[in-house]
Order: sequence, then C-alpha cells, then structure tokens
Amino acid sequence: MAIDPNIVELINADIDGEIGPADRQELEALLADSPEAQAMHAELSALNSSLNELPDLDPPVHLKHTIMASIPKTEAQQRRSNMLHSLLASPAMRYAGMFAAGSLITLTLVSSDQLSNNAFTDVTGLVGTISSEVPDGPGIQSTRIDRPEVAGRVSLRSSGPLLIVDFDLVSSGPVDIIASYSDQTVWFNGFAQLESPGASISAQSGRVTMQIEGKRRYALFLHNAGDRNISINLQFMSQGQIVYDTDIQYTQPGQTG
Amino acid sequence: MERCLKGDRQAFEALLVKYEKPVYNAAYRMLHNPDDARDVTQTVFLKVYESLDQYDPSHRFFSWVYRIALNESINWLKKSSRQEALEHETADQGDGPEQQADDAQLGEGMEAALMMIKSEYRAVIVLKHVLGCSYIEISEVLDIPEKKVKSRLYTARQLLQERLTKQGLH
Repeated sequence: MAIDPNIVELINADIDGEIGPADRQELEALLADSPEAQAMHAELSALNSSLNELPDLDPPVHLKHTIMASIPKTEAQQRRSNMLHSLLASPAMRYAGMFAAGSLITLTLVSSDQLSNNAFTDVTGLVGTISSEVPDGPGIQSTRIDRPEVAGRVSLRSSGPLLIVDFDLVSSGPVDIIASYSDQTVWFNGFAQLESPGASISAQSGRVTMQIEGKRRYALFLHNAGDRNISINLQFMSQGQIVYDTDIQYTQPGQTG
Repeated sequence: MERCLKGDRQAFEALLVKYEKPVYNAAYRMLHNPDDARDVTQTVFLKVYESLDQYDPSHRFFSWVYRIALNESINWLKKSSRQEALEHETADQGDGPEQQADDAQLGEGMEAALMMIKSEYRAVIVLKHVLGCSYIEISEVLDIPEKKVKSRLYTARQLLQERLTKQGLH
C-alpha cells in the first residue's frame, strides 16, 4: 500500500534531524497507526546510518603544498623572481649558464668553491630531461619522500661521466637539501631547475646545499670522472630540523650492491 | 576573506586548511577514485583562488566552494566517462544475500551503490551525509528550492535502497 506523501516527508525530515516538535508529534501519531510507515522509517534510518558511517578520508599529505605552489604569486613575489633572472645576466652567472640551458630551464644563483678548480662536462644536452619524469628502470635508483614538510621523488642516474640527481618535490615551506658525498674525485658540475626560479644553491667540497620552496623540479649534475661507486647522503631540513635522511647509491654498470 | 581578495596567500592558505578535507571527501565520494579526487580538489582551489573577485558575499563562502567542488566533480565525470565504466565494474558485485555481511562489506556496497546512481542524486547525498549540510544549505549550494532538495534526497535514497537490495545488502 502506498504511503501518504505527507508521512514520507515527515519520516525523511525526522531521520534528517529537520523536524519540528509539532511535526514530530504528528509523525509519532501517524506511525502508531501504520505498520508500513514504521517499516519505511526503520529502513530509511538504517540507510542513513550506513551513509553516515562512510569513512572520512584524509587528503594526500602533500596536496595542500601542491595547491599552494600552483596558485599564482602576487606582483611583489613575481618581482622578486624577476630579480633573479636579472642577476643571471651578470658575468658571474654566465659561467653557470654554460652548464644548463634550454627554453624550459632557468638557472639559479650558484656559489661554489669548486667552479674554477675542476674540468666540467657540458650538460646542455641533458638539462631538458628534467622536463619529464624520470621513469623507474635499470640503472636508476630512486627514493620517495612523503613527509608533511616535503614530499616527492629523488632519483639518481648516470650519463657518461655525469651523475644526475633529479628532484621532483613539493614543500610546504623553505626546505634545505644537503647532498653529501665523501669521494673527492666527484665534484659539482651544474644545476638546473624547471620553470621555477627562486631556489638557491651552494657547492662546497663534497657537499651541495639547495634551498627549495613550493613545487619544484631540479637536476643536480655531479662529475664522476672515475665512474666509481658512490653513495650520496641526502638530508632534508625544515626549520633547522632534519625531517628526512636517506642515502642514494650509484653502482657501476655490471656490479651489484 | 578581505585579505584573500587582496591576493594574500597566507589568508588563502587558511581557507585551504579549512576546506581541503571536505572538498577532497566530496570529490572522492562523487568520483570514487583517490587520484581523481586529488586532481579535482586541486582544480577547485585554483578556481576558487582565480575567481575570488566573483564571490558574492551575500552567500556563505562554504556554499560557493562546495558548489564549485560538485560542479568540477560532475564535469570530471562527463569528461572521463568514468561513470559508465564504473557502472560496468560494479554491476557484477551483487552476489546475493550474505548473512555475515559486516559493516565493512556494507560500506563497500554503499560506495558501489552510490556510484550507480545519477550524479545529481549522488550530489545531494554527498552534501547531506559527507558534508553535513542542512536542507537550506543544500538548496543554497545547488541553487534549487528547499522542496526540491527534499524530493531529490528522497529519490536518491530510494535508488540507493534499490541498488543495495539488488546486492543483497539491505
């Protein structure tokens, strides 16, 4: 038997917690006289309980950072970024420009005690590779980071005498990344970043320090002339605290471990 | 809000912190896919940021954000034709009554059933049960009269009940 639409509306209002005292009284009287209405009330209550019990999900930990990194900067922030481009035109920066160039790539300020001490390999032909994600595969070591402060992927591969460390990261605030390697035959060979001016980098003997913020993709080029096995320690620091620490290994082709 | 309108990123971040989770959950319940929900959530907040100057302060902010979230989810479904694919995927899930059907199974059944009703009905369920909106708030978000909210909710529940019955879960 069809139930009076008025009763149906009252039942729905009741289970939705949107019924007034007078309507509730009316509903109670109607339910008392109608087993069909009672059955409908019970069924809808059970359905509502099931819907209310659907689990509340947490968004991915880095989603907020990704969104904040995607929204356009204010004019003042944009002006600061443009200043960096101006600085890149200075003579001190032209040297770095030799090692990383390309329409999608921007260079960043580099201070280093190594730039003039060693031979360099021109990485012009390699920097464009950071515009696409590095796939997993043979000869590529990678590690994933999923911390509230910084999330993403770091991978290590080689090309001739070069080791290429790719960073595809998003951070909630400024994060310092310290890449350390103890082998003295390895030296800093260049740095490139994809459409993201604003990072800073410095290279000392056995160590490169980068500061990043927001969503960033970088490539760090290290010269490994002897093609030796090396281990690079990566420390991610936020507000002076280490938030992630990992080692990433390069092993000569044909060797294991 | 005023600071947001002036392009203050910190003020926007505060809004993001407040609404990220409900928007993500609404998108997930509309799309039933975490990657799609993530992408839609990102699109929603970019649209919110870019359209802040079009926000009408006579409406409540959440209703504007939720409307964008539901519209984006529905657009996503249309673009990817995901709804049809899911209907095929879930059509085989009704294995008949299970006496031992526990709460977890019912949850899965409910999620599957939700994906099998039209997106306009799913949207009212999401607003009511995921976002906890009242009738009047739902009418504000969907820009439909309160009476229509009630009838749409009622129809949505009937459809869900039919689907669950077919699956032997209700």
